[in-house]
Amino acid sequence: MFIYFTRRVLQSIFTLLVISMILYGLISSVPGGIMSVYTERSDYTPEDLARIRAKFGLDDPIPVRYAKWLGSMLKGDMGNSLITKRPVLEEIADRLPNTLLLMSIMMVTTLLVAIPLGILSAVKQYTWFDHFTTTVAFAGQSLPVFWFGLLLIIVFAVTLKGGNGKPLLPGSGMYTLGADFSLADRIKHLILPVAMLTFVSAAGYMRYLRSSMLDVIHEDYVRTARAKGGSERLVIYKHALRNAIIPLVTLVALDLPSLFGGALFTETIFAWPGIGRLYFTAALKTDYPLVMAVLIIESALIIGSNLLVDFIYAMLDPRIRLS
Amino acid sequence: MKFLKTALTMLFLASIVLTACGGSAATEAASGSATEAPAATEAPATEAAPASGGTVIIGTPQEPGMMNTLLTSSSIEDAVVSLFGEGLVSVNEKGEYVPVLAKELPTVSEDGLVVTWKLLEGVKWSDGSDFTCDDVKFTMEGALSDLSQVSASGYRDIESLDCPDPYTVVATFGEVYAPYLRLFSYTIPDTAGALEDMESWDMNRNSVGTGPFILTEWVPGDHLTFGRNPYYREQGKPYLDSVIIKILPSREVGMQLLGTGEIQALWDLTEANFPELQQLESQGVSYVSTVTGENELLSLNFGATDGTAPADPSTAPHPILYDLKVRQAIQYAIDKQKIVDTLLYGNVNAGNSAVPVGTFACPQPVSEFSLEKANALLDEAGWVVGADGIREKDGVRMSLKIATTTGNQLREQTEQVLAEMLKAAGIELVIENVPSDVLFAGWESDGMRDHGTYDIVMYTTGPSTDPDSHLYSSFHSSEIPTADNEGTGANFSRYINADVDAWLDEAGTITDTAARKELYCNVVKQVNVDLPRIYLYERLSIMGHRNEFHGLKISPTFVDFAWDSANWTLDQ
Repeated sequence: MFIYFTRRVLQSIFTLLVISMILYGLISSVPGGIMSVYTERSDYTPEDLARIRAKFGLDDPIPVRYAKWLGSMLKGDMGNSLITKRPVLEEIADRLPNTLLLMSIMMVTTLLVAIPLGILSAVKQYTWFDHFTTTVAFAGQSLPVFWFGLLLIIVFAVTLKGGNGKPLLPGSGMYTLGADFSLADRIKHLILPVAMLTFVSAAGYMRYLRSSMLDVIHEDYVRTARAKGGSERLVIYKHALRNAIIPLVTLVALDLPSLFGGALFTETIFAWPGIGRLYFTAALKTDYPLVMAVLIIESALIIGSNLLVDFIYAMLDPRIRLS
Repeated sequence: MKFLKTALTMLFLASIVLTACGGSAATEAASGSATEAPAATEAPATEAAPASGGTVIIGTPQEPGMMNTLLTSSSIEDAVVSLFGEGLVSVNEKGEYVPVLAKELPTVSEDGLVVTWKLLEGVKWSDGSDFTCDDVKFTMEGALSDLSQVSASGYRDIESLDCPDPYTVVATFGEVYAPYLRLFSYTIPDTAGALEDMESWDMNRNSVGTGPFILTEWVPGDHLTFGRNPYYREQGKPYLDSVIIKILPSREVGMQLLGTGEIQALWDLTEANFPELQQLESQGVSYVSTVTGENELLSLNFGATDGTAPADPSTAPHPILYDLKVRQAIQYAIDKQKIVDTLLYGNVNAGNSAVPVGTFACPQPVSEFSLEKANALLDEAGWVVGADGIREKDGVRMSLKIATTTGNQLREQTEQVLAEMLKAAGIELVIENVPSDVLFAGWESDGMRDHGTYDIVMYTTGPSTDPDSHLYSSFHSSEIPTADNEGTGANFSRYINADVDAWLDEAGTITDTAARKELYCNVVKQVNVDLPRIYLYERLSIMGHRNEFHGLKISPTFVDFAWDSANWTLDQ
């Protein structure tokens, strides 16, 4: 058991290291980079450009820059943003509550939609209801997020008007500017981004649960439960669902790190001041330290949650740790 | 492997800490001394002052990163800083220099080496301290420091800066610095902190300035609120209670919000937004616009495009564009007015001058459109129309690549129109666009303009209020980017003309405005003869605003949209 754990932890650390190397290499080789802001302007002399390049640490070759970055990372310093000069962890901390709010509400609504629909369409396989939900789910998975978001804005935040002649729902931001905090206002601002995220991600979960339900329904023990005279409700919810939902729980657990990363497109389209939007603007401005920090933290969280799931499996099932 | 383990643990800990410290999104930035400030904001009741009070929300698609001018890098930062920051001089809506924190424009000694500014007396910073010559000196030291991200040109040439009294600034230059008027267009208080700690100064996220507003709240990613500066020197101003800078996802969303009245103004529109602005007229929306002095232009490459980056293109000439007759034919084949009328709805001027506005303006008549002359010149130069309608000469097909920034619909449409126009003269134009940071990449990033690996690039550029650095870096032969000078300069056409070099050299060593203007005008005219660049149309800077918001004036330097914000008013 101990050997298995150690091996998995070391593997994960190595994976993270390789990921950081690849990411750093890729981000540093983006053409243009932050210096293009200055080279574009005619009032900057070569002396100015040389000074700024040195200040940003761009004179060293990429491997040296990576080594320096890794060194300060190991000391717990993820660096300062090139644009705001603040520690990148502060920048992230500012946005994290907003992202967690949006993503956790989205996770709850997604499950509330996906689980009942997944069960129903499996139980009522090949009925019009099943065809309808699977078609809609397929559409949800296939629609480009940014296009769907803009569509929602046009319909609900521009075309449709509320009672007072103002748009029915706000199309951007977290709250009405200048107004005092109110729960109703916050909920109004949450509706469109949450609706969009739910539509897109519930589709995947729903299809997943439907197929695992279909597998389980045809198992012997379900037939036995029916043969023993159990009611249909009891058979489906007590015997079938409990077994069918296990893979979904794993899937949800592995998706949890995305609560941190936020939703890049959704946050950008709806001007939600979360991590996804922070990352997007940092990438546009090639703010290397901030981009690296977001990517590395998210990579670490994903690797960490995979590790956690593996450990739990290993504890539950001895066959895994022996293989 | 132990340290790696530490790293991983650290990452997890970091993420946990992050999750725990929510709720502090807003950075309270109210100045501590504001409470004991004099009540400078109450206008005397007898005076018929414009309606006071109200909050104006200005939308922008970008967020500023910084309130400290010395560390800013984008135009939105300069724009926002202009709500609280002021310089000794500024530029008005006509593109002329005006004194702000100085009593008058600076005076210069006869030999051009000593420049003197007389400062306004009694001006206070928003933290209550006095504005004096020491602050000006500190500003210069800041610009020259290793950490600064502003251009140090001009300040670098100052040999000594003296303060004979608190309200007199005397700068002595080692050699004549012609554009001395542009110096000190911003100021930094000497109480800001030590220069080596510049990146952690308190004022980086708390405004300290002499202007009408101060930053009172900054919610990252959402908005910045500016309230009145209690120490502002003009009684009863600013008229507005506050200005909010609202970060928006895009211009398109901004246009919608402008129409519904959720924002009162929208920053940085482009010529492509005219039709939408006209549609919104019925919803109480207008716009202000001004020429910026910048042109949308074509830069034609004189040198070989194989990456040799020759210092002198005659040693490795471009197979098609090195011939003056070809460049003239291209200009004749382009109907600039048609581009303006069809793509820009007639709202801008067709371009033909590198310096169209401002103190040094040298406007030129628009070049003639004549397909006959274009064809005649190409025939004369030996280019024969081939079977597919495209000209050929010595086995070279007259096919040129044009590049501009991707994702800009107006530019893409312009390219298509240009391709059609040139095709009529037997020239093929192949469109190959690249993202803006690739197009504008520098020498060390293998930038296509610097290395001359292009035929034609289309982009916008132009002089700031003083054309000195723009004309010099664009047309002086020493500014051709090569391996030897590590890619210095913006003479991407690799244009060499001894007269132009001489005029530019001379203009940089004298301070007499009329004489400099004549020299720069010579350059502008010569450029139109030699055609390293073809000017398509003059760019505008445009801001949309609601009719109830008055006093918005944008200056041709564009970034200072708030230069007159003390006089803004809002009907309520």
